[in-house]
Amino acid sequence: MTENQDPIIRLTDVSKFFGEFQALKSVNMEVQLGERVVVCGPSGSGKSTMIRCINRLEEHDAGRIVVDGKELTEDMGNILAVRREVGMVFQQFNLFPHLTVLRNLTLAPMRARKLSLKEAEEVAMQYLERVQIPDQANKYPSQLSGGQQQRVAIARSLCMKPRIMLFDEPTSALDPEMIKEVLDVMIELAREGMTMIVVTHEMGFAKTVADTMVFMDHGEIVESAPPSDFFTAPESERTQLFLSQILSH
Amino acid sequence: MNRTQVRRWWRLSQQSPWIATLQFLIFMALVMWVVLRGAAEMGYQWQWYNIPEYLWKEYKGELYPGQLTKGLMVTLEMTFWCTIFTLLVGLITALLRMSNSWSGSLLATIYLEVVRNTPLLVQLYLFYFVLSPIFGVDRFWTGVICLTFYEASFVAEIIRSGIVSVDRGQWEAGDAVGLSRRDAYRFIVLPQAVPLMLPPLTGQIINLIKHSAIVSVIAVADLTTEGRNIIADTFMSFEIWFTVAGIYLVITLTLSVFVTWLERRVRVRT
Amino acid sequence: MTAGRRNKKTRWSWIDLLVIAAVIAFVVFVVVRVETVLRYTWNWGHVMPFLAYVDEDTGRWVTNLLLEGLILTMRLAVIGIVISALIGVVMGLCRISNNLFLRMVARTYVELVRNTPPLVFIFIFYFFLSSQLMPLLGVDDLARSDSEFVQWMVRMVAGDPSLFSNFVAGLICLSLFEGAYITEIVRAGIQSIPRGQWEAGKSMGLSGFDVMRNVILPQAVSRIMPPLANQFIILIKDSSIVSLISIQELTFMAVEVGVSTSRVFEVWILTAVMYFVICYACVIVFNWLERRAERSKR
Repeated sequence: MTENQDPIIRLTDVSKFFGEFQALKSVNMEVQLGERVVVCGPSGSGKSTMIRCINRLEEHDAGRIVVDGKELTEDMGNILAVRREVGMVFQQFNLFPHLTVLRNLTLAPMRARKLSLKEAEEVAMQYLERVQIPDQANKYPSQLSGGQQQRVAIARSLCMKPRIMLFDEPTSALDPEMIKEVLDVMIELAREGMTMIVVTHEMGFAKTVADTMVFMDHGEIVESAPPSDFFTAPESERTQLFLSQILSH
Repeated sequence: MNRTQVRRWWRLSQQSPWIATLQFLIFMALVMWVVLRGAAEMGYQWQWYNIPEYLWKEYKGELYPGQLTKGLMVTLEMTFWCTIFTLLVGLITALLRMSNSWSGSLLATIYLEVVRNTPLLVQLYLFYFVLSPIFGVDRFWTGVICLTFYEASFVAEIIRSGIVSVDRGQWEAGDAVGLSRRDAYRFIVLPQAVPLMLPPLTGQIINLIKHSAIVSVIAVADLTTEGRNIIADTFMSFEIWFTVAGIYLVITLTLSVFVTWLERRVRVRT
Repeated sequence: MTAGRRNKKTRWSWIDLLVIAAVIAFVVFVVVRVETVLRYTWNWGHVMPFLAYVDEDTGRWVTNLLLEGLILTMRLAVIGIVISALIGVVMGLCRISNNLFLRMVARTYVELVRNTPPLVFIFIFYFFLSSQLMPLLGVDDLARSDSEFVQWMVRMVAGDPSLFSNFVAGLICLSLFEGAYITEIVRAGIQSIPRGQWEAGKSMGLSGFDVMRNVILPQAVSRIMPPLANQFIILIKDSSIVSLISIQELTFMAVEVGVSTSRVFEVWILTAVMYFVICYACVIVFNWLERRAERSKR
């Protein structure tokens, strides 16, 4: 990584509480443009909370988050601007069940980017082709398989032409045989140079695409290293323990 | 208020819960002011000082219930009897509906459909004008019986859905370990269903208290009737109605809080 | 349930005998009491013309008090559900707003209405409305307006212009009352949409308003419609209460006819049947519509 460049995402001493429970304990992280970060850690370690703070689906209680030069504060204008730059893919897909696949994809470009229907549909079809399901455009989400739904969800985020993509355990809700088709789309995206933060337990995927591996536990970033070091010579004992558990099966 | 003022008001209430609460109090005060001003404009004479005598009377150092308190006692007495009878009728109806007796479930269905698809007030008139002369029942018990059959239709549904909501697998597990149907009810299904039923059943008592006001139509001397009588005598409409509504609110809101507490307990346990 | 495991063939059990014996005993007792003790002579012919009768001069059917009452009841119900749905949507949105002030206002409204007896609520509001709000809004002037259009509207809404102000007061009372229940229906409908839908919408940079309009509400509406239809039936039934503030709907007319003819048995049985037919017809229609909507959802 070139350290002298301004990072596109910077988290400084970010803390987050859910009532008494502290989900994030002054987390510091920098992500450069084009960098692929894979975040792993046991459940409840704050991985999802952290990436949900980056597009302010959760409000952080302390510290600063700056995305593409805009600090996330109460300012709704900034939040909307950041959200349009940052795409997000959820564990549960969260497609809109009452809209067709195509309408799922055109909604945000039309409402938030003020594209015309024709323009939005062109963009949508282009991305549906990239995730290889253009033929499903006029179906409803409930008619698709889980893997197809998740690919639609990825295409939906891409339609906003984001500079950063966040993935929150994108394959955890999928049947095993569908995981690959989704990961393939993500690998393809990584090859094209998209800035990505991925929360996942898919270590094979991590080894393939990650520039940086981040291990979180109890709301803290325990270790942050390139995958070559991370998988072969983890520094912290907690990381070692976690890796031994997750890689042994 | 113009647009910028509305926006400022909105932003203020976003700042802290205390400010929002203050705004709320200001708003309520405003509503009160409108009511009071309206009353003043029609030359209304407030006589709040006269209200206590309708709640309690003091005679030779001893306290006696006033007219409204007596009415409240009648309301509570009705509620008491209705609660007992309602549980009974509701339980029988639910059992008949779920039984494998064709006439039983037919009777229960007819009863439920008739009660659900006619107004309570019309039912009350039916009971008062038609059934009470036939059976020779007085006003008070006419009211009790009418309310009982009305509320019991809801109670029957609460009991039925409580039992149905217990997972099928629980019955099958009971069968699998060789329990009789009665034992399965007693040891497996009811212990799971009853806690689920308790909050809605308590909610039904709240409804019972509310609906019991309707018996004032047939001049049972309950809280509402006494309130109307006093108004007819003294023209203190606002004071009496607010007092009557206040008494109902105290009782029902207390029970509501209890229901919320029950619901939370049930949710924790399941 | 266990009943499903038994065979469907009609079988007699001791419960059937008990039920049938009880029903027969009840009917016999009623008939004996009516015929011998009360010596009530049924006379349906006296009561039926209060529904409708043939005018002897013109030879046409003319609606009479009871049917007119029923028409007013339906007017109250139809206009009432529109107004109370409006109140319910506005208050329901306040109820889930992130603005505490709005939440408190809506909550107070709902709790006040739901925890006072309908009778007491209607009396208080009617007294307040008729003495203060009606003159303020100039409803009476509206009914006396010269404009043909206004007159036509008044007749459409209330039937008889001379009772317009009275009708409006009853309508507002009823709508405010039902509005509280619809508020909760709307709130529950919106809150039943999973949080992920909000998050997906927001994460794409849609404004809160856009998420509400394009994502949440379209899904919430299909969940709100069935309980709303049910509320319409409840509204028909609850509207009987406004007979106590002299709105001349079905129950009011039934009291009138009962007093003037003293044929109380027939009148009240007939009235109950009328309500039952209307409400049950609504149940059937709404169930059919709901099934059709379900089917069209693939």
